[in-house]
Amino acid sequence: MPEPSFLFGQFLGGLTAAMFLFTIGAGLSLIFGVLRVLNFAHGSFYMFGAYIAWQVMTWLGPGTEYFWLAALGAATGVAVLGVVIERLLLRHLYGREELYQLLFTYALVLILADSVKIIWGTGQLSASRPPSMTGAVQIFGTTVPYYNLFIMLLGPAIALGLWLLMHRTRLGRMIRAAVMDREMLEALGANVGVLYTVMFAVGAFLAGLGGALVTPVKSIVPGMDVEVIVEVFIIVVIGGLGSLWGTFLGAVVFGQVLAFGILIMPRFSIFAVFALMAIILIVRPWGLLGKPLSR
Amino acid sequence: MYRRSLLVGASSLALAGSRAAQAQGVIKVGFPMILSGPGALFGEPAMKGAQMFVEEINAKGGVLGRKIELIPRDTKGNADEAVRQARDLILRDEVQFIVGTLTSAEGPAVSTIAKENKIVFIAPIPKTDQLTAPANLHPYVFRSSSNTTIEGRTAAEIVAKWPVTKIGTIAPDYAYGQDVTKAFVEHLKKIKSSVEIVDQQWPKLGEADYTPFINAQLGKKPEAVFSALWGGHFVTFAKQAKPLGYFKALNNNLIGVGEAGSIESTKSMGADYPVGIWGNTYDVFNWPDAPPAHKDYITRLKKYTNQEHPSSWPITGYIGMQFLTDAIAKAKSLDSDKVSAALKGLTIDCPLGSMTMRAKDQQANHGQFWGRTKMDPKYPFAILENVTRIDPEPFMG
Amino acid sequence: MSRRPVPWVLVLFLVLLCIPWLGSRLYTFIATDIAILALFALSLNLLLGYTGLVSFGHAAYFGIGAYTTAILMKTYGVPFVVAFPAAGIVAAGFALVFGFFCVRLTKIYFAMLTLAFAQIVWAICFKWNDVTGGEQGMPNVPYPDLGWMSAIPGLGSLRSGDHFYLLVLALVAVAIAALRRIVASPYGRMLSVIRENPERAEFIGINVRLYQLSAFVVAGFFAGLAGGLFGIFNRGVFPDFAYWTKSAEVLIMTILGGMGHFWGPAVGAMVLTLLNQQITSYTEYWPLILGIILIVLLFGFRGGIVGAVVALNRRLRGR
Repeated sequence: MPEPSFLFGQFLGGLTAAMFLFTIGAGLSLIFGVLRVLNFAHGSFYMFGAYIAWQVMTWLGPGTEYFWLAALGAATGVAVLGVVIERLLLRHLYGREELYQLLFTYALVLILADSVKIIWGTGQLSASRPPSMTGAVQIFGTTVPYYNLFIMLLGPAIALGLWLLMHRTRLGRMIRAAVMDREMLEALGANVGVLYTVMFAVGAFLAGLGGALVTPVKSIVPGMDVEVIVEVFIIVVIGGLGSLWGTFLGAVVFGQVLAFGILIMPRFSIFAVFALMAIILIVRPWGLLGKPLSR
Repeated sequence: MYRRSLLVGASSLALAGSRAAQAQGVIKVGFPMILSGPGALFGEPAMKGAQMFVEEINAKGGVLGRKIELIPRDTKGNADEAVRQARDLILRDEVQFIVGTLTSAEGPAVSTIAKENKIVFIAPIPKTDQLTAPANLHPYVFRSSSNTTIEGRTAAEIVAKWPVTKIGTIAPDYAYGQDVTKAFVEHLKKIKSSVEIVDQQWPKLGEADYTPFINAQLGKKPEAVFSALWGGHFVTFAKQAKPLGYFKALNNNLIGVGEAGSIESTKSMGADYPVGIWGNTYDVFNWPDAPPAHKDYITRLKKYTNQEHPSSWPITGYIGMQFLTDAIAKAKSLDSDKVSAALKGLTIDCPLGSMTMRAKDQQANHGQFWGRTKMDPKYPFAILENVTRIDPEPFMG
Repeated sequence: MSRRPVPWVLVLFLVLLCIPWLGSRLYTFIATDIAILALFALSLNLLLGYTGLVSFGHAAYFGIGAYTTAILMKTYGVPFVVAFPAAGIVAAGFALVFGFFCVRLTKIYFAMLTLAFAQIVWAICFKWNDVTGGEQGMPNVPYPDLGWMSAIPGLGSLRSGDHFYLLVLALVAVAIAALRRIVASPYGRMLSVIRENPERAEFIGINVRLYQLSAFVVAGFFAGLAGGLFGIFNRGVFPDFAYWTKSAEVLIMTILGGMGHFWGPAVGAMVLTLLNQQITSYTEYWPLILGIILIVLLFGFRGGIVGAVVALNRRLRGR
């Protein structure tokens, strides 16, 4: 039996990964919930967030507290990009067949990936944690870096923030109404177009934020878009597309299965999460906490 | 519809053909290499080395009176893509030779293509033993780099001298990581029977999050670790491991093969580099016992790459190209079979000294530099302390 | 004045048969590539165009077929005559299992489950080192023994790549002929009925799921055959064959050519391959150009190339 402190460390590692994925996945899930579009380009937004954050940090001074400004700036930049895409292109595809929407977002994946290469080159970029986050704290005999702690707290904060947005604001009520019945909402005279744009911007913002926040711990590199979209896809499918807490749960499950899967079957932990996803799709296609879609 | 498209196709093909014909008289060498992603940290400078060699030799009139044209292609670190690029180089660009590939997945995949097309292929970087193992050897595949047996055994010799017995390993789960780890473990157990392998981690190549592997390894409490994560992969790994207290827990008893000690690795991490670990590299700009040829090479490289402290990887591309051109000169022909015959047993006089392509396994006796990293006030990045070039001969089998 | 229609397909086949005698290895190479991908895209269109099922995981069956043939031929030394059909059969077997679950879902959930299963196939190929070679795949897949072709008068002077091309062309032609028979049969028409209106089909007593599942299996079978050929052609099989981006690529081929016409996907495969060949010699940013083509297609030419040509033709005739 391994030591408890070790298991705790593994748990926290999984949780950190989970909260990163939740930050990114929440946007994908919300966009699907409202717009009914499975956005493959969500990973591209994440990648853009990372690159823009790196760029801003390089301008302002790498390894300084400007990191936070860079992260917010990157997320905002990606949100703007999202609005442009939604307004100019995506909205013309609403109500069309899924195939066209899926392929449209895939076209974005291709275009955005090459844009990154054109702007920032093909090599691997790297960023440092802000000075206030370089330390670590000992919890139950495990070293927990401040930054990981921050991410673990940020995830629930974002979840709570989104929940408040959905349940305590007029916009949120409209969003929830849209999730349940689009036509009804339109019949009531709500400006669904604006609602969709806002939703898409919020989703893109979260993806960009996630991308910016991973820069101190992961490498900024072409291909990070395609890699992350697969993981995020898994968590939203497990949790339930369109469900905020479902995405949260999916992320936690994903992180823990990977973390402990490595201990139990070292080489097949990737396989374990895919298998889990398939089982859930088979028995509960709408995910653990999702609701079956009205057509 | 079909006819029209076919016509478009045929004219486009004709175009490609005429482009190939324009460049007659030059010797075309395809150079598939990782030029994007984490592997580009090594691939990009390796290409620079090859390009510098080509420029220098062309300035002197080329080989057999013909200039050399180097055609680099990005393999993206993906074997499938490497195969595609290699075939494209052969069929469309009509290259006569291939020098290149970086990973141990790309090398063997391209070797198949070289064999089928009877084109001499010199692998300047892939280390897996499988590339030139008897079952896979054919007349057209040569390796100018070190290999996993040499590297794993050399690392074992070093670790055997450390006062540790509990060893962990972490390596990417593909040919290179598997083979070098195997060579290391087997040799270490042979020369130091008291060692115990307490943990082995196998992340995938290009893993974005090593945290679960790092924690799991720490949980097994190894006293020393053998790492085979290379290039940008090692950078990512170290960046995630350092805040978790990984290197501290190991007391810096980590040996990073896969050139963790190369200037590319230390430079790209700056202050985040885990100073104090051991690593290897193909070249050092500050080699204390450097022969004049090496000093001269470094001076030229500085100028060519416009770097104050030039990279360590250009030497791989440089040596690969030198083996090729020396063999062409010796064969006095561009014929694959004649160049292949010339390569067998060929000794070249390169910046690192003399190096021989063994006839029996078509493998060069290419050793590497090893040392412990330290910060030196003279440089803004970690360098190797007491760096020594270890003779590969005793470990080649 | 009645004219016999020109048998265009036969003419085309005969023209393609002559490619090796042009003497360029490059032409043969590209033609082989196109022939295999055309079969792959046509197999997808059985689902997409004929049955109305959006599969985002069709690469799974292509990958399974490729690995089946490669493992049988390389690891076990099984001859091609067995290893090739095995690719289709094994792929169809997996399609049966996965399809059983997929056809219970509709629309976007169907697409997601097919994608999820494809990713599982990818993960297995990627990690099962002992059998699939893991991450680095399996290089060095042997060519089938085509020595007998040299004995045929006129073929003796050709290279082995040309021999393989002729084999591929013949096999793909047979497979396409079979697919064409299938879609033209009463069974194929039933699939179209389901595509047009699944509720109505259900209502008039058609077992919609069973038909969809059977289409899924047939499509998987032909994708597997295409994969089996491609693994040999590529001289190696790699996990990326089953990756989701590969599924996206074949979807693009299909709709680029036009999924409303039987030959559309084949045209798409050809145009995309030739374009790729052309564009990559000028720029490394092929994905960017592909993305732009795709967007133009989605917003401007829903019917794809064949759709556009048919519409143009109709307008010209109408005048």
